[in-house]
Parts: sequence; C-alpha cells; structure tokens
Amino acid sequence: MRKPDFVYVIYIQTTPEKLWNALIDPEMTKEYWWRHRNRSDWKPGSAWSHENYDDSSKVDIIGTVIESDPPRRLVLTWANPAKASDPSKVSRVTFDLHPLEHEVRLTVTHDETYPEMLSSISTGWPAVLSNLKTMLETGSAMPMARESRSLK
Amino acid sequence: MTKPEFVYVTYIETTAEKLWHALTDRDFIQTYWMDCILTSDWKVGSRMTMERYGELKNECVILESDPPRRMSYSWHSVFDPDMKKEKPSRVTYLLEPQGKTVKLTVTHENFADGSKTLPSISFGWPMVLSNLKSILETGRTLPLDAPELAATETAHMRG
Repeated sequence: MRKPDFVYVIYIQTTPEKLWNALIDPEMTKEYWWRHRNRSDWKPGSAWSHENYDDSSKVDIIGTVIESDPPRRLVLTWANPAKASDPSKVSRVTFDLHPLEHEVRLTVTHDETYPEMLSSISTGWPAVLSNLKTMLETGSAMPMARESRSLK
Repeated sequence: MTKPEFVYVTYIETTAEKLWHALTDRDFIQTYWMDCILTSDWKVGSRMTMERYGELKNECVILESDPPRRMSYSWHSVFDPDMKKEKPSRVTYLLEPQGKTVKLTVTHENFADGSKTLPSISFGWPMVLSNLKSILETGRTLPLDAPELAATETAHMRG
C-alpha cells in the first residue's frame, strides 16, 4: 500500500467530543490555530473554509466535507482558493479520533498534496496540533498560537 | 523515492535546558517513556540501553551530544529476532528554542527497505513525545492504558 504524504499522530488527554468540538468551534480554533476559524455546517457535501477569525474576507483554505462522523472521523478536501479549480491542487485531510480509556489518539492524514502544499502543511500541522494539545490539557494554548498567521 | 525514515516535530512550552534534562535523566525518562529505563552517561561513544520490565529492548551508542541543542545515537532493536538482524538505525534530537517554547525535532533514519523496526518506532515515538510534552507542560503524564502501551511492541506485525 502506498504511504500517505503526511501523517501525524498525537495523544491528547481529553474526550472525543471535546476534541471534535475543538476542531470546529471558532471560539476554540481562534485560540490555538493562528486566530482562524473553520466555517461550515459540517454535513457531507457542504463547503468549508479556513478564515481569519476577525476578517472573514481573508480565506486561506477552502474545500468540501467528504465524511463527517462525529466524534470519530472527519474527511475534508483542502485547497488554496486561488488554485481550487485545478483538481490536481486539491488535497485531502482526514481526522481520525480514536478513544482510549483516558485520552484520544488523534491521527491527521494529509494526502493528495503537491510539493508546495506538502512543504506548507508539514510545517503547519505539528505546530497547530501541539497547540491544540496544550490548549485542551492546560486550558490555554501556547502564546505563539494566538498570533494571527496566514498560510503562504 | 524518499528514504524510509520517521520525522516528528513537537512544540513544548519549556526551556531547552529543561527539555534536555527530560531527555537524558534516567528517573525522569521513566515517568513518560512507557515504563522504559534508559541508562547511559550520554557521552559520545558511550552505550545506552533501553530496558522494559527487566528485558533489554534496544541497544544504542551515543554518536553526538551537544547539550542542550543536539543529540544523536544509534538504535538497534533486539526484542524481535528479525529486528535484531537489521543494521542499527539512527536517532537525532534537535532542540530549537522559539520564544517561550522549544521546537523538538526527532528524526529516526537509516532504515533498510522493508525494515520491521520502522513501523514499530513509528507507533512508539508519538506516544513517548505526546507524554513528554504533557509532563513538561502539566506536571502529569497521560494515563495510557495497557493495550495501547503493549501495541508498540506488536506494531510491526500489523504491517
């Protein structure tokens, strides 16, 4: 079997429900995800976008919800808005939330990327997911996470 | 084609000195490294052993040590007969302070094609490093359950 382009596994002391909410609730994402929100109704087939929390005209990523099975599995397409009409530039992200007795094993798989995208997301995910873990375990994200930052 | 390797980056709210201590202090390591005991003086050329419940799991040799920035050691898994036949792989820790956090990059490389050690360590490192981050930031480790801990030693059999 071919290896996916990028896989990151992280264990977080939380529940699948809290972790699922942290991925989609703007009041949560703004704390750990460079002051951004993920906007959607999270139904399969619906659009979603990753936007600046304070200025929704600044959209970094757009895509479609492929699968949504709260609080276990979320699959999204992921594209730069300027390139989203080119199917070869549309990547795919999967969030798998595997519950353990006291924590959740979160696996983020980012596949069907292209070199520029792979380089950007390989830097981005470890920082975002480190901040997400810190926020859920300590109640506040690391100071770096609250700075507004856009994807290149 | 990319070389078979494992790279994991995590950001930890701590200092490079505290993180270095957490990576090299035998008693501290035991609190977050899945009940493993790592024994070494961490000097270049010295041996480092990883034992779990009295059984030798991995035999290592320190290759580079530049506290609190960079550490490198060879890694030879001896708990599985096929892994024991593999040539040693190489682990490198890179600690880069960034404001109030430290960016820790763990690279595990030099695997042969078809290595059985690679799937095993790919399962183990995220658990060890998630736990390390938790203990440094909250003072508590993750109460990981026994089946998940045991899975690190069977991950290579699931393919």
